[in-house]
Amino acid sequence: MPHLVLDKVSVHYDGQPAVERVSIDVAKGDFVVLVGRSGCGKTSLLNVAAGLVEPARGVATIGGSPITGPGPDRAVVFQNDALFPWLTARENVAFALRLRGVPQAERGRRADDLLKLVKLEGVGDKHIWELSGGMRQRVGLARALAAEPEFLLLDEPLGALDALTRERMQTTLLDLWTAAQVGVLMVTHGIEEALVLATRIIVLAPGPGRVVRTFETGFSRRYASGEPIRSIKADPAFAAARGELTDAIFEGEPA
Amino acid sequence: MSVTSYNERPTIKAGETDTISVPWSRPRPKRSWISSRAVSAVTILVVLAAWALSARLQLVSPVFLPSPAAVWTKFIVVARDGFVDATLLQHIVASLGRVFAALVAAIVIGVPVGLAIGISTVGRGIFDPLLEFLRPIPPLAYLPLVIIWFGIGEPSKILVIAIAMLAPVALSTASGVRGVSQERINAARSLGATRVQVVRHVIVPSALPSILTGLRIALGAGWSTLVAAELVAATRGLGFMIQSAAQFLVTDVVVMGILVIATIAFVLEFIIRRIERQLVPWAGKD
Repeated sequence: MPHLVLDKVSVHYDGQPAVERVSIDVAKGDFVVLVGRSGCGKTSLLNVAAGLVEPARGVATIGGSPITGPGPDRAVVFQNDALFPWLTARENVAFALRLRGVPQAERGRRADDLLKLVKLEGVGDKHIWELSGGMRQRVGLARALAAEPEFLLLDEPLGALDALTRERMQTTLLDLWTAAQVGVLMVTHGIEEALVLATRIIVLAPGPGRVVRTFETGFSRRYASGEPIRSIKADPAFAAARGELTDAIFEGEPA
Repeated sequence: MSVTSYNERPTIKAGETDTISVPWSRPRPKRSWISSRAVSAVTILVVLAAWALSARLQLVSPVFLPSPAAVWTKFIVVARDGFVDATLLQHIVASLGRVFAALVAAIVIGVPVGLAIGISTVGRGIFDPLLEFLRPIPPLAYLPLVIIWFGIGEPSKILVIAIAMLAPVALSTASGVRGVSQERINAARSLGATRVQVVRHVIVPSALPSILTGLRIALGAGWSTLVAAELVAATRGLGFMIQSAAQFLVTDVVVMGILVIATIAFVLEFIIRRIERQLVPWAGKD
């Protein structure tokens, strides 16, 4: 089973350390969430995994081979959807297939399947600017899945959405994670979001970014095996985990 | 933690809410008593009236300023019978043909040059100084050199216009390329796009609104070098028509030619704006 591994990775910007010796191991089927205060290097680590940033020290590997650049085995979804406004929703989703030279009819069919998977049936012909923020982010997810990645890298994908849309998107993310059989590495600011989605939460602290704690959590697996999300959030264990995670994130910071 | 501070805010009692109006929540429709278009129309009418009046009162000799009626009559006559062996339409077609040939040349050379400036440091190093050198030179200054090098045929005329168009096209393209969002490029790369595919599928379409703006500016620049270009042994064209008329002091044809050139420029600008809306409907929406 392939692993996405960051091994003692340090990232420097202009010679200044932003991340110091962080190790992360994501297996296929894992949902690893990075949380922490601003400046803890969450996004830098995601970019190292994506191959967009080269680590100053340490190595990033996928399936044992070093990561030298971006690739469709690790599709990225950004906070600002980064969709292509000159293409329709369907053409956006089919982008990765078009790059590979998949014939038009075939890629249209597969794009429609993916739009269905993200609950956007029937919007294939719409232009991007006709869609709401939540819909655009769904198109972004479908576009990433079209590349048939082994890992999904999510950089605060729900960060720009309103609270209610966000909540709905969380279950969509879990459904996709289960359906697509991928490993996920995600960055978020949301404490509850981390608990709902993750199988493992890595808490980072700034100055320079380093791991302060790791939580193994089981709430998302409970959702995957059929428990409703409301009942999970109402579980006292959820509230307890929430308190513990909050303490870990703000540890050492004056209240 | 101090939560109490929230309670210190003035509270709104039940039943009071509908009397509270937030001043910025309902902006009043702007009721301007006059539109800028109306002002423009009046301005044009006033200028025309002043022109007609000064011609009627013979404040200046008709050789210097023919009356609007004389210009209009000349327009009809030249449109029907022609001037210096060609009808007005033939002059217009000749000029438009040159300008559009030059535009094609400027696109074929300028867009790739602009892409090179925007994408690669080496490309920028090569083309930036050349364009900056070329840009401020007035067409009349390089006209003699173009004639010496390329003769007095049609290619020279097109080249003079194309040179004026090259910088706007290339520089707008370059600025469009530099404005492409890095996230879009990263997204495409993470979906498996090669360098060439990023240029073709992300950078060029992203820069398209800017490229079209460049074409609009270029068309204006090219159209305004028309007279200079047609100084070179032309037998047709609006610029040529004006120069011939000037040599024989046929001032009404000169004025008529100027108005035709201005009108065509206005129409071209209008058409390109329509094309922009058709081609890049997303511009300004993302």
